[in-house]
Parts: sequence; C-alpha cells; structure tokens
Amino acid sequence: MTRLRAPDKADFGSRLRSAAVTARVGMWLGICFGICFVTGLVSHWSQLPQPPIPVPTSPSWGYTLTQGLHVVTGTAAIPLLLVKLWSVYPKLFARPPMGSARRLAVHGAERLSIGVLVAAAIFELATGLANASQWYPWSFSFRSTHYAVAWVAIGALVVHVAVKLPTIRQALDADLEDGGLDRPSVGASTGGLSRRGLLRATWAAAGVAVLATAGNTVGWLRDVSVLAVRSGEGPQGVPINKSAIAARVTDTALDLTYRLTVAYGGREVSLSRDELAGMEQATEELPIACVEGWSASGSWRGVRVRDLLALVEAPDGSDVEVTSLQPSGPYRVTTLPANFASDPRSLLALQLGGEPLAIDHGYPCRIIAPNRPGVLQTKWVSRLEVLP
Amino acid sequence: MTRVLLGLTGAVAAAYGGLLLLDNGFGDLVDVATWLVAGVLLHDLVLAPLVIVLVVVAARFLPDAWRAPAAAALVVLGSVTLLAIPVLGRFGERADNPTLLDRSYWAGWALIVGLTLLTTALTITVRARSARPGRVTDP
Repeated sequence: MTRLRAPDKADFGSRLRSAAVTARVGMWLGICFGICFVTGLVSHWSQLPQPPIPVPTSPSWGYTLTQGLHVVTGTAAIPLLLVKLWSVYPKLFARPPMGSARRLAVHGAERLSIGVLVAAAIFELATGLANASQWYPWSFSFRSTHYAVAWVAIGALVVHVAVKLPTIRQALDADLEDGGLDRPSVGASTGGLSRRGLLRATWAAAGVAVLATAGNTVGWLRDVSVLAVRSGEGPQGVPINKSAIAARVTDTALDLTYRLTVAYGGREVSLSRDELAGMEQATEELPIACVEGWSASGSWRGVRVRDLLALVEAPDGSDVEVTSLQPSGPYRVTTLPANFASDPRSLLALQLGGEPLAIDHGYPCRIIAPNRPGVLQTKWVSRLEVLP
Repeated sequence: MTRVLLGLTGAVAAAYGGLLLLDNGFGDLVDVATWLVAGVLLHDLVLAPLVIVLVVVAARFLPDAWRAPAAAALVVLGSVTLLAIPVLGRFGERADNPTLLDRSYWAGWALIVGLTLLTTALTITVRARSARPGRVTDP
C-alpha cells in the first residue's frame, strides 16, 4: 500500500514546466509590470496636490493614454502571471537543502523573496481588477494600498530578476525546445501541447483579455470589448463615476439660491449660475479619464478658470483649492495646481455637448482641465479659493 | 556587480513599499495582510491543484489529437473567466449609476467561450485531415 505523502519537485514531469517557457512568459510579464508601475506613478503624482515632479497640462490626452496603458497591461498580465506561476509550480515542493546552515539560509531568503513577489503580484492584479468595476471587498484604502504594494511588487521583481539573471539569459539565448535548464524529472514529449503551443496559447489569452476589456478607453474596440466595465453610454454621451445621489448633492445642486464663491485673500466674489453663463464662454474638447481606466471625450463649454481668478485679482501662478457641494468624500476638496489653473483650456464648465450639464455630470458647474485624472475634475463646484 | 546593484535597488524599493503600508491603521493592515496571503493560498492550494486534476482527467478521457488544442483552450478560457469574475458577479453594481457594468456580461462570456471552442474544434479537424504518420503536432 502506498502511503499518502507531500508531492515532490521530482513528481512533475511535464516538459512545459521549463525555464525556457518561464523566462519567455516572465519577460513579457516583467514588461507589463514595468509599464504598470511607471504609469501608476504618473497617476499617483497626478493626484497629489504637490507632486514631486510637476505634471504638465499637455497633451490633454496624456492621462487617458497612461491610465489606459496601466489598465490594459495590468489586464494582459493576468494570463501571463497564471502561466508563469504554473510553469514554476514544482519549485513550491522543492525540499530545503539540509545539512549546511548557509545553504539553508540562502534557500530560505530566496523562498521569502519569491513569496513576497507572488503575494504582491497577485494582490496588485486582483485589487486593480476589482477596482476597475468599483468592487471593494476590503476595508483598506484602495489608492494608497495599491500604490504601496506596487513598490513591494516592483522591488521584489527587480530582486528576482537579479537573482535569476544568469538563468534568464541562458534560457532566452537557447532554443525554446532546448532541455539544458530542465529538471531531471522532465520526460520526453508525450504528444500534448508543445512549448511553442503553450506560448502561443498564452499570448492568445493575453490578447483576448485585452480585446475583451480595452473598449473602456479605446473607442473603436467598444463593440468587441464584451467584458468592458462600461459600454461608454451615459447622460449626454459620457459615462459617470459618481452620481449626484451617491455624492448627496441632489438638493444643493438644484437649489435656486446656488452661488459660486471665488476667493483670494480678503476678496470674495459670489456668482449665480446665470451670472456665470453671462461671462465670456469658451468651448474645449477634453477627455474625462478615470483611474479605473475608462475614458470618454466631450465638448465642454463654460468660463475659463483663469478668467474667474482674474475677478479677484489673483496673481498668475497660484494653486487653486476647489470645493464641491458634496458634504463628504475624499475628493470634496481638491487642489488645481497653478499650471492647470492658468491653462486657457481649463474650464469651469456649464455645458456638455451643447446642453446644460446633467446633474450627474456636475450641474450647476464643474472643473474640466486637460491631462487630469477624472476624480480631480471636481463636480458640483461651490468654491474656488486661490491659495497664497 | 550589476546583479548586486540590481538586487539592492529592488530591496530598497520593496522596503519603501513596506514602509508605505505601515501608514495604514492596524485594522486595515490586518486586512491587507489577509489579502496578500489569501491570494497566494488561493493560487497554490486551490487553483493550481484544480488545473492539475483537470489536465490529468482530460488526458485520460480526450483522444490524443485533442489534447494540445484543448490545453490551449484551457489557457485562454481559464484566465479570461478568472478576470471576468468581477463583471460576471456585478459586485460593484450601483442602482444610482446605470453607466457602470451596463453590458450583458454572461452573454459576452458565452460568446468568448463559443468562439474559443469553435477555433479549437476547427484546429482539431484541420489537423486530423493533414496528419501524416510520425508527424509531430504543433499548435
């Protein structure tokens, strides 16, 4: 009678679980993670009131591009990570080297670094995927935690590449079918899927994943992207992220006594919506691009922010604090950095697509500026205060 | 030398991320740790063994010529189904925002499954026709 025992590395005989496959899938996974990390930094900095590197206002579609790339490469990374982990699964059952304390310590350290990498990688992809559909089955703040774990993931990835560099080089230089780096337990081909076949299936899976979701930000893919979080429809042709009901502004936004306050130092100007509409109006074609990776372009019409700031004789080059009518929420008060406030394309929009803003788009008026994350395009604006 | 520098850079970046995590309160930190560990356990103890069982069963019951195309179909459908979970379950749906999750996701998923199976069936048929004795199949 055979006794039940824990599996061993030597129990895995598939030729597909080979460094030849791992290195090739891993390279593309690494590229995806690299793009995700850099575009994630851009997004993080764009949301800081005082970014370490000033975020430019041009091109206006900059954030649409970087955040679209962030979500597309993150989505493509899901099949890549699954196949990568599958290809190295036998290593999970490698027996620790007993006898030498030093070798045991090195083995333990490598195990730990891999554990951190796998945990951080799965965490980033899972939380990012859930966030794209506004699903939050956790208590922590998505934004700050996704950002912190991104540093852990990219750091552990760099350590992993440093450790494995000779193997990676050898595997990528050798032919895909080369067995030089295989485990001794690997048998001869048994007919099923070849290594090339597995790689092609992996690229196909990544391709299907991207095509099925990228329509959120790539307009012409909209009809193909059957799993996209949004169809792109919405009031006035633009989807919304936070409704007036969710923001609890349905009464205050429609109140006839609404006034916008513009303040600088001791000066304050109070304007009704009609008075705003009586000022010089400008029309700008600008995208709304959200952190969740969807974007939509709209034709916005309203007053230039810098014209409003001129009413209180604010000096050029000042940051502006924007306050919304919404009673609470992390984005109730936001900062519009000086370069955005003085950009002529930055509007306090009153209209979208030739009609007054729908309440879900921020009636009576909202901020719309080029190259900004959607959460900072503050809706239902009640106050603009020029910061000293 | 390059590898040592690379390794140190990575370790510093990871440690910085760890420090950033500590900004969370204790309760949230426990939640973060739970999610970090749960992801690994779900993969290593549930998903990976499930795939192994699936492959063993499929290898026993599928004709030899079907094995490679079926494995390729599993890679595509398995990963796409996994990443479709949030939209299929509509967990983030909100009554006040009809612009979110506004597609028929099960129909979309069924379409992807149908097209993948169709491609798989076509591959098997084409290969069966062009198969010569001794020829190695390569999908």
